[in-house]
Amino acid sequence: MVDSRAAHTLAVPFVNGGSLRSRASSGTSTEFDRLFTEEYPRVAAIANRVLADPAAAEDVAQDVFLDLHRRFGDDPGAKAPAWLHAAAVHTALNVIRTERRRSAREERSVAGPASSDDPQIAVEAAETRRAIQALLARIPRRHAMVLALRYSGLSYAEIATALGIGVNGVGTRLRRAEARLRKEIGDASI
Amino acid sequence: MHPSDGTLRRSLDEPVALDPRARRHLASCPRCEQRLTAIETDAATAFATFAAHDPSINLDAARARLAESGAATAADGAAIRRSRRPARIGTRSARASRVMAGVAVAAVASVALVVSGGAQDFLSLFQPKQFAPVPVTSADIRSLAGLASYGAIHAGSSPNIQPEPDAAAAGLAAGLTPPAVADLPSGASAAPSYAVVSGTVVSFTFNAELARAAASRAGGQLPPMPRGLGGSTLTVSIAPAVVISYGLDLAALFQGGGLPSGGTSVIVVASRTPTVSSTGVTVKQLETYLLSLPGIPATVVSEIRAIGDPTKTVPVPIPIDLASASTVDVNGASGVLVGDSTQIGSLVLWQHNGIVYAVAGTLSSNQVLGIARSLH
Repeated sequence: MVDSRAAHTLAVPFVNGGSLRSRASSGTSTEFDRLFTEEYPRVAAIANRVLADPAAAEDVAQDVFLDLHRRFGDDPGAKAPAWLHAAAVHTALNVIRTERRRSAREERSVAGPASSDDPQIAVEAAETRRAIQALLARIPRRHAMVLALRYSGLSYAEIATALGIGVNGVGTRLRRAEARLRKEIGDASI
Repeated sequence: MHPSDGTLRRSLDEPVALDPRARRHLASCPRCEQRLTAIETDAATAFATFAAHDPSINLDAARARLAESGAATAADGAAIRRSRRPARIGTRSARASRVMAGVAVAAVASVALVVSGGAQDFLSLFQPKQFAPVPVTSADIRSLAGLASYGAIHAGSSPNIQPEPDAAAAGLAAGLTPPAVADLPSGASAAPSYAVVSGTVVSFTFNAELARAAASRAGGQLPPMPRGLGGSTLTVSIAPAVVISYGLDLAALFQGGGLPSGGTSVIVVASRTPTVSSTGVTVKQLETYLLSLPGIPATVVSEIRAIGDPTKTVPVPIPIDLASASTVDVNGASGVLVGDSTQIGSLVLWQHNGIVYAVAGTLSSNQVLGIARSLH
């Protein structure tokens, strides 16, 4: 389930609409369709910055769009992109933190689906995922969020809207997050 | 008053957002310059950490999967189904294609830039000091560009060009003092126009799986990889640049317009020297490994290895079938002059006191070199 905090950052009315399947089969185009086309790759990219796992990132993108439609229907409003960006990073961070708490499942979660038949490549990919996920799990969520959004290519204005803060605050938060990240890397040397 | 850390951080990504007062302060405050360097280093670390391939997306498959998940959820309230993954197409994104030229540069740099220090360094950061020409043929360029297929390229925000009213404003926006041209040849416009091109960051992340496939295409096998090479990243941070133009419409040029058909045009560019960092392995290890890959022309390998101290030197590939190049002296600094066998123009590139300069023009080599030496 998508983190409810994402929805709370927006105070715009959304209208419930028809089902995804009926709309897909009828071929009618809606605001939701346009949004999906424009934002789905970016939502997946944001999740991938957190998870370092393209397949898991697409799972998150699917969850986020499904939740958007469930909550707000076919015409989710002008602030929907910001909602999607925040929801993507919240949901991806939740995946890390939930899975890390479940020690029995941790190894499978961190390793993720094998992207290669070569065991050495699979081990390297798993190590990269483990290192990035461990880093993001150790730093405050507000820091992890601004890092994931910025390094997915969002502008300061877009990040400000997604996080519900002023654009001048983005630089401050990003600076603190990068300093903390640098310290964590120095301490742990991933 | 010193700008806040947040303002300094933003100035790295969005320099034009800085207000004029802060620009003036930054240009003259050593303490803020020191703070900015520390902020820049942390930003480069974060960039290298998060450099990753964006997922290849098949939108139709993703849309179909979403529709099915929505129907399943509506029918029985079940959790989102994850069993069906969309088919993935290994196409390179349009954005990635656009940065292929930058990729080639990053790949060449990854071959050639060496950093001192031990293999235990997690992150190495350095600034090259000078340039040296490396003659290459068109076939060599294709081979070197092929290095891009040994990993993933990630480019930051696309560079944009911002016109500035005068030299002072341009200098403040780019964080340096723009050079002044003392000796323009007759025929060149005497009135310069100024602009600032935003900085960007380009990284190259070595990917063992892609490398193995590329080596196979090149007709060879991947040599054994040193520990830590998989996922190692080379990051080049490019600072904003001041562009001074005599007789050229800069905005039109950046939007794909051609050079003017007649008249004399001169462009002078100045930018703080790019910084280069690596993670996973040192750049020396990356260089050694990339030079051992199949398909890299032996002559290019030999030329790059022959560069005296590559810790401080960036090789500039010169297509010898199109242009000639030589090492020249620009007021005591070693530079590269690309000659006018192209019949289009000439260019000289050098570095002095942490600033990279370039002068190019629809002129002879001697004329362009004369302008370069007249800068002050």
